[in-house]
Amino acid sequence: MSAVLFRRTWAAQRVRLSFVLLALVAWGFLLPVIYATFGKEMGALARSGTFANMFDLMSRFTGGDVFSIRGTVALGLVHPIALALVTIQVVGFAAAAVAGERQRGTLEVLLARPLERRVLHATLLVATLLFAALTEAAVLGGIVAGAVLFGVAGDLAAGDIALCWLNGVALFGTLGAISLAASVSFDRLGPALGIALGVTLIGYTIEFVGTLWPDAAWLRPISPFRYFQPTRILAGASEPADLLVLGGIFAAAVGWAAWEFPRRDLAAPS
Amino acid sequence: MDAIATQGLTKHYGSSRRWRAGSGRPGPIRALDDLTLAVHPGEIFGFLGPNGAGKSTAIRLLLGFIHPTAGRAEVLGLDVATAGAVLRGRIGYLPGGIALYDGLTGTQLLDYLAAFYARPPVLRGGLVEQLGLSARDLGRPIRDYSRGMRQKIGIVQALQHDPELAILDEPSEGLDPLMQRAFYAILDERKAAGRTVFFSSHVLSEVERVCDRVGIVRAGRLVALERVGELVARRRRHVEVRLSAPAPALTAAITALVGVSALEVREDRLAFGLDGDVTRLLHLLEGAPVADLTIEPARLEDAFLELYDETAP
Repeated sequence: MSAVLFRRTWAAQRVRLSFVLLALVAWGFLLPVIYATFGKEMGALARSGTFANMFDLMSRFTGGDVFSIRGTVALGLVHPIALALVTIQVVGFAAAAVAGERQRGTLEVLLARPLERRVLHATLLVATLLFAALTEAAVLGGIVAGAVLFGVAGDLAAGDIALCWLNGVALFGTLGAISLAASVSFDRLGPALGIALGVTLIGYTIEFVGTLWPDAAWLRPISPFRYFQPTRILAGASEPADLLVLGGIFAAAVGWAAWEFPRRDLAAPS
Repeated sequence: MDAIATQGLTKHYGSSRRWRAGSGRPGPIRALDDLTLAVHPGEIFGFLGPNGAGKSTAIRLLLGFIHPTAGRAEVLGLDVATAGAVLRGRIGYLPGGIALYDGLTGTQLLDYLAAFYARPPVLRGGLVEQLGLSARDLGRPIRDYSRGMRQKIGIVQALQHDPELAILDEPSEGLDPLMQRAFYAILDERKAAGRTVFFSSHVLSEVERVCDRVGIVRAGRLVALERVGELVARRRRHVEVRLSAPAPALTAAITALVGVSALEVREDRLAFGLDGDVTRLLHLLEGAPVADLTIEPARLEDAFLELYDETAP
């Protein structure tokens, strides 16, 4: 890993990262506030029978709700708003990290330094994992802060929160590693970003469809989002296999990039 | 040990295995074919050729950006294929049409790029001064720089850590004549310090002025490799002799002179091309009724164009 490159990457990303982290903290904070203020009434309404089916469907898809503090934590992590914000920072950064530099023509200025391509990739991978860790921590930090301030944190266990964080980091670390592998494989940003967002959006869509439509449930195992299950963790039924599967995909993506990047020809930028 | 030594260095793009004559598919592109050359330590070596001749491909092979189809290259005694970062720590590189990080100021960029090297940027102060970059210039974001300013920063980043070998791709592009002169002085200093400079250019007057030796590539093949002086000395000069009186004997003698071509005879004027040494011509003119004599100096440009003409398919 190159400390010089890492510092530069951090400096280049800090403004966008700050905005994303602030947005995620605010999002996370908002959910326990909603739960503390309206949770019981909304829960009673949901169970009243009038909207029971709709609430059931919604909670089955997202795995979260605002009728319990555990459901609130899960909702904070799996809601599309949180996923989109984390995707912008982690997947967006990783997809542009090499292909973007290549397209701008600055990659050859960088690689003319005493910097191995594998070291460049490893440094950007560490930055990607750090961004995944910080963004997931920001959501959870916001939720915990809101829950403590509004006096509804009683049922939350620190161990479960830590496991949820680890599961989120594993998911986005994996998506980031896939995005980085795409980034080192192309000379232009378009294809790299297309693959990165394609994997993320298609994976999310498969999980979406698979959870709502039983006939499509068999597709779920091919989606990385299938292995992100904060609801199960908070219910005390975490599956280490989820982390193993995500770890396997992560290792395959890192292995591909480590094999491909040093062997690629970096022809003159057009 | 040579600063650069290549042996049969070849780069083809596109698969030649899948290509079949008459298949309609484009064949492999021969970007560089069998390049064998040696650049000696402490010399300024010019690598010439028009756009697409293979200059940048050769440079990218030397830096390990692309991998050879065949052959090998050693730079500073290290194999390019295996030395990687260790080797690039001893080289300074200026890419052609350099792209920079627009959000950084000049100073931030130079600090960032210098931080990768074990050597401190000992030459930065002098280079900045010679190229007329003020502290105010260096404090501005690079996005506000003109093309010439970008090129100056590019030169500084390539040389600031006092590299043993500088590889410069079209280095004077975008520099005004004053700055070009300052750049040539910088190259002279590099040479005086025993450093090696390998640079590609299509500005032939610049190469003639600065380089000790040149290599000329055409369609990916090296077609000439020699000292600038020798290359020029062997080339055709244009000679014009104005006579003060008719001299048929002189005309006949010039016609018979080895190396004379395209002789035009008018009333009081002889014009012709002359290859090689001029001494024999000067002996012939001794005692002849010569009113005026013009021998245009042979230029690298002429040599280059003739070489391209000679080797045209």
